[in-house]
Amino acid sequence: MLKIENLHATVGGKEILKGLNLTINDGEIHAIMGPNGAGKSTLSYVICGREGYEVTAGSVFFNGRDLLDMSPDERAGEGIFLGFQYPVEIPGVSNMNFLRTALNSQRHYRGQNDMTAVDFLKLVRAKAKELDMDPEMLKRPVNVGFSGGEKKRNEMVQMAVLDPCLAVLDETDSGLDIDALKIVAKGINRLRNADKSILMITHYQRLLDYVVPDFVHVLADGKIVKTGDRTLALQLEEKGYAGLDIAGNAA
Amino acid sequence: MKLYLDNPQIETDFEAVKASLPGLADLRRQAMARFTQSGIPGPKVEEWKYTNLGFLARENYLPAGKSGRQAEIRQFFDQAHIKDIPGPVVVFINGYFNADLSSLPEEDGVDFSVLSHNPGNFHQSLQASEGSSSLNDLNRALVTDGYRLDIAPDVDVEHAVQIIHIATSGTEMASLRTRGQVKLGRGAKAAIIETFIGAEEARYWFHMISDMVLESGACASFGQFQLQGRNAIHMTELHTEVSDHATFNHVNLQLGAEISRTELINSFTGEYASINLSGAYLGRARQSHDIFTRINHDRPNCKSRQLFRGVLDKGGKSAFQGKVVVARDARKTNADQSDKTLLLDRGAVANAKPELLIYADDVKCSHGATVGEVDPDQLFYLRSRGLDEDAAKGLLVEAFVSEVFDDLENERVAEKFRQYAAGWLRKEGAL
Repeated sequence: MLKIENLHATVGGKEILKGLNLTINDGEIHAIMGPNGAGKSTLSYVICGREGYEVTAGSVFFNGRDLLDMSPDERAGEGIFLGFQYPVEIPGVSNMNFLRTALNSQRHYRGQNDMTAVDFLKLVRAKAKELDMDPEMLKRPVNVGFSGGEKKRNEMVQMAVLDPCLAVLDETDSGLDIDALKIVAKGINRLRNADKSILMITHYQRLLDYVVPDFVHVLADGKIVKTGDRTLALQLEEKGYAGLDIAGNAA
Repeated sequence: MKLYLDNPQIETDFEAVKASLPGLADLRRQAMARFTQSGIPGPKVEEWKYTNLGFLARENYLPAGKSGRQAEIRQFFDQAHIKDIPGPVVVFINGYFNADLSSLPEEDGVDFSVLSHNPGNFHQSLQASEGSSSLNDLNRALVTDGYRLDIAPDVDVEHAVQIIHIATSGTEMASLRTRGQVKLGRGAKAAIIETFIGAEEARYWFHMISDMVLESGACASFGQFQLQGRNAIHMTELHTEVSDHATFNHVNLQLGAEISRTELINSFTGEYASINLSGAYLGRARQSHDIFTRINHDRPNCKSRQLFRGVLDKGGKSAFQGKVVVARDARKTNADQSDKTLLLDRGAVANAKPELLIYADDVKCSHGATVGEVDPDQLFYLRSRGLDEDAAKGLLVEAFVSEVFDDLENERVAEKFRQYAAGWLRKEGAL
């Protein structure tokens, strides 16, 4: 599904990713952990095409197509979803309007017609219910006045409605209490099937108690330095990065 | 600085319209005399610092002819008329009342009169803002027509009254000067929607002064949509007096004209009253919008709120000058003001000059003015969900302006407002 080879990327002239390789196959869940400044968020932004993140070498292919040639909205149309570490507030745009515009934009990209208003309403209400979101929140402006947990829940509802092939979740679990964390885990697990893949970027192994990954990678200094199964996350939790001889790169 | 004095044309203008409107000759002559004393405000007048009227000394505007091509007039009428509102419609063409297209109010307690039909009746009301400014006097001297709407006490007018001002393509280098008078009696309630529309290419000077009085407990909603042609000069003044327990809601949309100047001058004449002014101004290349508001909190326990949003594309210019004066004994005043401008391009210029003059204790006043660009984080968030750049920008700009629509009680008017704004944004490639 996703094939990243020798990826080098700079932000503001500074090299952050320094030859990263990662392959994610259909149906797999990968977790990326790593010390602060290792390049975890940069990786998610590069996959999703954020402006200001410049790829200087390497390639990223998604289902055989070159992602680096595509705009962020085209990548979304291809089926990539980015769960934000800090979901953005958009005053004046209701959640409902936002979701409908997003879904129909993606449908247009795929050559499909708009979803009918009735079908859309049904879909959104069902997804909101599954993830315990108060339907009133759908009428409110996107993320405005939402608590940290509510914002992350909103990300999960968006993900459920947009139904991506690949979800890249950038520290979706950070700053959440245990109840909110369970909701996020529920959102991820509901997406999980043989055709979908998930890339979870996380600081803590806590989320991995609820969403069991197929692979755990350690990202340090712009490269993946260690790959293992879920036990690697437990080792990290116990011994820390330093204990596994992985240097931080916070400087 | 007296620019207009150098221009002999003004005397000719006056000669041309003097004979019309019998019964007002003295009043107009006096207004003309005051105007020639003070002249057009020059660039050193603080209130006019963002709109230079120097060009008026070089350009001669003659009173416009009454008629125009029927097909063109019809087209403008259809564009401006909100058909879903079944109320009365009053049409002015090139500054003159047009009976054919109008359907006047017939409801009991709603008294409507036309200036050119009965000038003597306007004598008293025309003195309302006499001498308040030289342009106000110029309008009084050269006015060709206008209307007066009187709502009797306790009458709740069923449908909004629509007033449509059309400038035809025959108005090249013409001036259109009209007058409006609105009075709501004690406890009366009414809504008015005034639309200004005109020929895309013609250079004309539209100039309208309105005076509004709200008696005790009255409630007025007054919307103004400015869709003049791109070479037009558009100037309006709206003077409003709001008595105790009365509410004045004004919403304003500036879309057209090369130069627009909107003055909203408000005074509280009683306690526990409220004034809400909101508006949006959208400007593109060669276009300048100047919004000038004043709220005189002369009485205690009153509330005012101002909310303006501007969007400027490359080469567009705007000014917001909002002044709130809280008099010495106006305790418990609550006054809010917010003006935000979004620049779609670095080559646009927005000026904001909020002024708060507070002479009373125990008041709550706030103001905020910002000028900014589309937020890149918001833009990326929307794009990451599948919206292309134009759609994402359009949604953000629309959302930015939408705060102004949210205030509109009448959903049909709000819809029209949204349509106009969205149409503008689409044309600018921002939607």
